[in-house]
Order: sequence, then structure tokens, then C-alpha cells
Amino acid sequence: MSTSAAEFRPSVLKRALRSGGLLFGIALVVVMIVAAIAAPWLAPHDPNAQDVLLVLTPPDAAHLFGTDAFGRDVLSRVLWGARISLYVGFVSTLAGVIIGTAIGVVAGYYGGIVDRLVVAATDVLLSFPQLIMGLLLVAVLGASLGNLIIAIAVTAIPAFVRLARGSTLTMRERDFVDACRTLGFSDLRIMFLHVLPNILDEIVVMASLWLASAIRTEATLAFIGLSVPPPTATWGGIVREGFDNLLDAPWMSIFPSLAILAVMIGLNLVGDGLRDATDPKGAP
Amino acid sequence: MKRHLLAATAATMVLLAAHSTASAESVLNVGMAAADVGQLDPHRATTTQDKPVVSWIFNGLVRFKPGSASLEELEPDLAEKWEKSADGLTWTFHLRKGVKFHGDWGEMTSDDVVYSLKRAADSKTSSFASDYAPVASIEAIDAHTVKLVLKNPIPALLGIVANYHGGNIVSKKAAEALGADFRIKPVGTGPFALTEYKSNESLTFTAHKGYFRGAPKIDKIVYRFIPADSARDLAFTSGELDVVYGRQDQRWVERFQKENGVVVEVVRPSELSVLHINQTKKPFDDIRVRKAIAMAIDSKQMVAFKGAATAIAPVSVVPVGYLGTHEAKLHPHDVAKAKALLAEAGFPNGLPLKVIQTSLPTMLNSMQIVQAQLKQVGIDMQMEVVDHQSWHAQIRKDLSEANYYSAARFPVADVYLQQFFHSRSTVATPTAVTNFSHCKVADAEIDAAAIETDAAKQKQLWATAQQKIVDDVCAVPMFEQLQVWARHTNVDWGYKFEGAMHLGPVVTEATSKK
Repeated sequence: MSTSAAEFRPSVLKRALRSGGLLFGIALVVVMIVAAIAAPWLAPHDPNAQDVLLVLTPPDAAHLFGTDAFGRDVLSRVLWGARISLYVGFVSTLAGVIIGTAIGVVAGYYGGIVDRLVVAATDVLLSFPQLIMGLLLVAVLGASLGNLIIAIAVTAIPAFVRLARGSTLTMRERDFVDACRTLGFSDLRIMFLHVLPNILDEIVVMASLWLASAIRTEATLAFIGLSVPPPTATWGGIVREGFDNLLDAPWMSIFPSLAILAVMIGLNLVGDGLRDATDPKGAP
Repeated sequence: MKRHLLAATAATMVLLAAHSTASAESVLNVGMAAADVGQLDPHRATTTQDKPVVSWIFNGLVRFKPGSASLEELEPDLAEKWEKSADGLTWTFHLRKGVKFHGDWGEMTSDDVVYSLKRAADSKTSSFASDYAPVASIEAIDAHTVKLVLKNPIPALLGIVANYHGGNIVSKKAAEALGADFRIKPVGTGPFALTEYKSNESLTFTAHKGYFRGAPKIDKIVYRFIPADSARDLAFTSGELDVVYGRQDQRWVERFQKENGVVVEVVRPSELSVLHINQTKKPFDDIRVRKAIAMAIDSKQMVAFKGAATAIAPVSVVPVGYLGTHEAKLHPHDVAKAKALLAEAGFPNGLPLKVIQTSLPTMLNSMQIVQAQLKQVGIDMQMEVVDHQSWHAQIRKDLSEANYYSAARFPVADVYLQQFFHSRSTVATPTAVTNFSHCKVADAEIDAAAIETDAAKQKQLWATAQQKIVDDVCAVPMFEQLQVWARHTNVDWGYKFEGAMHLGPVVTEATSKK
């Protein structure tokens, strides 16, 4: 029985590297992240610069993705949009993971009334579909970058509470936890230095899948107009603006949709690959 | 056995086919760019999606000739004839007899007319109360005669008793019985009665068989709310909609003009798009900052974005073609001067401008152009985008630093000036209409012009008022937009559709669908 995460890491890494899907997924995601970070240098034009003479021009050499109804360069907007979309996705998932995991570990470790209250609360939150929950929160809080992150993070919290709690429940009964107790370690130290590392791999796997879902939620909210206000570009927002001219100028919607698709595929491959790699049963 | 079955099926099909042709209803499907209805109480209805509908349900004492938006072409409606006294203060209207309200609400009499006009004049029940401020009394002489006395002569009296805004005649019994429900259960004398309202989906109207001009040729109108432009366009192209609210957009007009069996109708009145600047919010109380905004806005470029097929450049803070519109001296587009003015006002590095903005695509798109233009002089326009109804509510609470509003009004300068630029109409006050800027520089001229009997002097007063408003930068006129509608050729309005006071086609008893 492995008592420490460190023991099986080398094999995880080895298996991970053998998985083509995982590598391809990582490559896709890395490319997107680099594109987002380097947007100011990569983008050929100012994403918000309008040009009345270049309204709705199809893709050509000067504008690889064409221009939108304001004559803005779609490629530049997709690149800059990646910043917002990925930023919202990462920050909100990270917040959801940290808060959710902390609550879940505490609930699972102590059990009793705390646990029952936490479970009841997550049941309530989980009964709302993620998108509806996000929509409700953004509608109430108002559409802004901060509120968007809060809304998506809140939708992620209950899932991670559940996962961390379940895993902690089984960890709690392990011998090494008893050993820690015997040694007189504080609860806090046992929870976060001994239990947490042992459940971390599961959480990382789920986080990568949730990241995809968070980015999709952001795009969906932007599509229905509940995102960062104009002129800031976000992928969902560009798709929506393109929707007005979908029949004449499909490029406006197609390119940001492809960007969303690429990130979704990448993150799902990463999630699946990580799961296979960390699952002891899946060892070849 | 098989053959019998086949024969029976064939017979049934023939029968069904015969049945469906015999009872085929003539249903007119109209698509509107809105999520839901606002207000169908005619004395409250101000939004684009409500106005056309109101014109199908109600009549006035006189009416705009269907298809026209001109004051010159008013014609008798519920009143057959009228006389005015020599001093222009006393007007007597003789009502048509035997006019029936929808459903079981009985016959229209002078009681209903007196009730309706009084209701329209009361700010508790009407959004147009200020239009009726000059009315001293309205009384019924007998069941079919109404006398209206004015405190002072007004520019266009027939305008306030026409089938527009407050002039719509409602059923007294119904309005009293239904109370607040009248908003979605309006009862009038018009050719169509509202029979069903599905929230966020549609309104269904049924022909008013007892309509006094004769039973309508169309049996039913389904007025569908489709806020997404592309969804609405697709529904129209696929034939699901017979008539569609067009986009005020060059490309849209060009695209649909090319389609077979489609007629695009670009009609007056134009709606003037204006950026109202709230003078009570700092630093916009400083005229230099307001002037900088005016100089940053390039109306020529806005017209270019919107396209020459539907947009024209503004001439004043009152739409072109109204009685009394004056070609004012507008602030020229001058980025360098705007920047200098901002620096002088203490904002060399620019400043933020926080606005509440509707998510309605056409308006949001225009505002994005303004946003980009303002950015060139260093003004950072921050939009809080909300849905259209919330936007209408919030801007009336004086929450926005500037407000983009696009409107057509009764075609007399007086109405536009009163509602948008007279201090009496300031939002969030008891007499509020739509003065979002807290403009008050031209009160004296507007008031004087309203009671001036000499036409030339009146025009001069209106001209002075408009120039003062421009100079004080209460608002920046940006562009004027004509109304765009499209129909399939099988729809015949029954008149030539050139203008629409109600911002949409009037469906009359003569309108038909093949």
C-alpha cells in the first residue's frame, strides 16, 4: 500500500509520457496559453480599432480571420479574447478547487455535524445545472470580469467539495493517519500535509476537466451577453457578435468557435490522459 | 382488405385537404426584434415593439393616413367631423355612431373619449401627460359630441387627438374594470383585438369582425418576439414570418432586396440617435468636457457605418422634417480640439464615462462606435450592458452619466423639445418624461414657442431653442435612422407604406395575405 504520493510518481510520469493523447492535449493547451500570453505581440492589429472602410471583409492576407461589423481584425480579437477566456477559466477553476477542496477535506476529516451540513449545502448547489447557476449569479451580481470569475468558481466549488470529502473519508481510516495522530500531529497538519497530497492526483484530474467546463461556461455566458462589457473581446462574445451576420460573414463566428473547440479538446485529452496515468488499475 | 385501406386513406386525405382549404385562416406572422412586450396600454406604450401593435388595437379621433407619417395627411377616424372656434381655443368633435369596442365592451360613446383623453392627461396613468398640459377642459355635450377647450392655442391640436400615444381611445368600462391588467389586456375599437399573450414569446390578435370600417381580411396576427437578429432573419427567409422588423443596416437591406419575393420598405419617420450627457454628474457639469464629447463624435463616420440606405446625418437636436426643425450649427468633429478642451478642464490623460446600455444589438452596435470614437480623445466609455426593459427603467432613475437614446416623436419640434430638453421633463422628477441630460437652457424659448400664434415668430423661437441646446451640449445628435421592414410579396398592406408614425406597419381592415 502506498502511503505517500511520492512513491508512485515516477511510474505516473512514465505512463503519462507514453500516452499520445495526453501529449497532444498538453501541446494544444500550451499553444493556446502561449498565444494568449503573447497576444500583444502576436496580434497583427489593435483588437478594438474600428475601420469603417473594412467592415466585414472576408479572410485575406491582411486579415487572416477576416474583419467584423466594425472593421476590427477577428484574428487579433480571437487572440486577445483568449486572454479573457483562459484567464476566467483558470482563475475561477483554481478558486473553485482551492475553496472546494479545503471545505471537502475538513468535512471528510471531521465528519459529524460539519460533514452533514456541508453535504446538505453541496446537494442544494449541485441540484442546479452549472450553467443555470452561473447565469443566475452573473445576472444578480452584474456582468463584469470579477463577477464572472466568482460565478464560475461558485459553480465549481460543490463538485470539488464532494470529491475531496469522499477521498478524505477513505484516507481518514488509513494507518498512516492513525500514525500521524499517535505522533501528536495537529489536525491541520494531518489534513493538509498528509491527507491532501494523497488525494491531490484525483483533484488535478478533475480540475483539468472542470477547466474545460469553466471556459465553456464563460463562452456560453458571453454568447448570451452576460460577460465582460464591450469592446473587450472574449471568445463567446465574438461568436455572438458574428451571429448577427452569420449568413453573410460566417468567419466572425467560425474562428472563435474553433478556438473554443481546440481548448476543449486539449483539456479533455489532458484530463483523460492524467486519469489513465494516475489510475493504478489502468497500469499496462 | 389492403385495397380498402388504401381507398379509405385516400378518401381521408382528400377530405382533410378539402377541410383545410375551407377553413384556412389568413394568418399574418410578424417578427419583432424584442424579447417581450413592454406595455400595451396605449397611454404608456413608448417602446419600438409596442407602438405598431397599439395602432392595430386602437383608434383616435383622427388618424394618420395608413402608410404616412405626415401631419398634413390626418384624416377622420372616430370623429367624423370637427369645428374649431375663431380663437382656436374651443374644438368640437362629432363622433361616428355605432362604433363597437372589442369583445363585449359595447359601443364607443363620448364618455369613452372624455375618459381616455383625461386618462392620457393624467401623469398617474399616462406617459404623455405633458402633451395635454394646455388642455383646460374636455367634456361630453351628448353621447356623440365632445368639446375640448384649450388654455392657449397649441401648434398641432389634432396631433394630440390622433391615433398616436395619448390620443388613442380606450374603453372606459374595460380600463376601469381591468385596472393594472389593461397593460396586457388592452381594449380598443381597432381592427384587431388582442386575444392571447405568451410572455417572451408572442401576442396573438384576432380580427374585430364588428370593426366600423368593415371586417378585416386578415383573420389573425401572430406577433412574435425574436430578439436574436439571425434567428429572426432565418424565420423570415424560411417563410415562417410574413413580415419582419428589419435591421437598420445597409448590409441587411442589400441582402434582402436581392431575395426573391421579398420587398424591403425603408420608411419615415427617422429616429434621431442622440447622446444625452448628464449635466448633474461630475465632471460632465463642466461644459468643456461636454464640448469635448461633442467634438469627439463623428456623425459622418456613424452614417458610414450604418449605411446610406438607412441612415442620414443629423441637422439638429430635433429630427429632420419636423415642423420647426432648425438647421443648427453643430459642433464640428475635431479630435485635437477635443483633447485640448479636456486638458483645459483638468483631464490631460482622459477620463472614464460610465453608461448604462441596452443589449439590443442595433443600439449596442452604435454605442460601440461611439465608444471607439470617444477613445480617440481619451474618454474611456465603460458600459454596463443590461436587457432592454431594465435599461428603460434604469435610465429613468437618473443612473447613467450619458445615455444613448434613439427616438421619433410627433413631427412638431415642440414635442421633441418639451420631452427631451425642457427642465420640466427631467428624469426622476414628478413630471419626468425623457430629459436625461437635465437640460434647462431653452425652457423660456420652448414655452414661448408653444403658445406663440405667429408662425414665423414661433419658428424663430424654436430655432433659438435648438441652437442653445446644441451650444450647451445637453446632447450630441449622432445620426438619423429610417425604419426598415421587409415583407413577402404575398402580403398587401392595402396602402402604400412610406411612413409609419407607429414605427411599424399599420395592419388595417384592407390588409391581405394571398
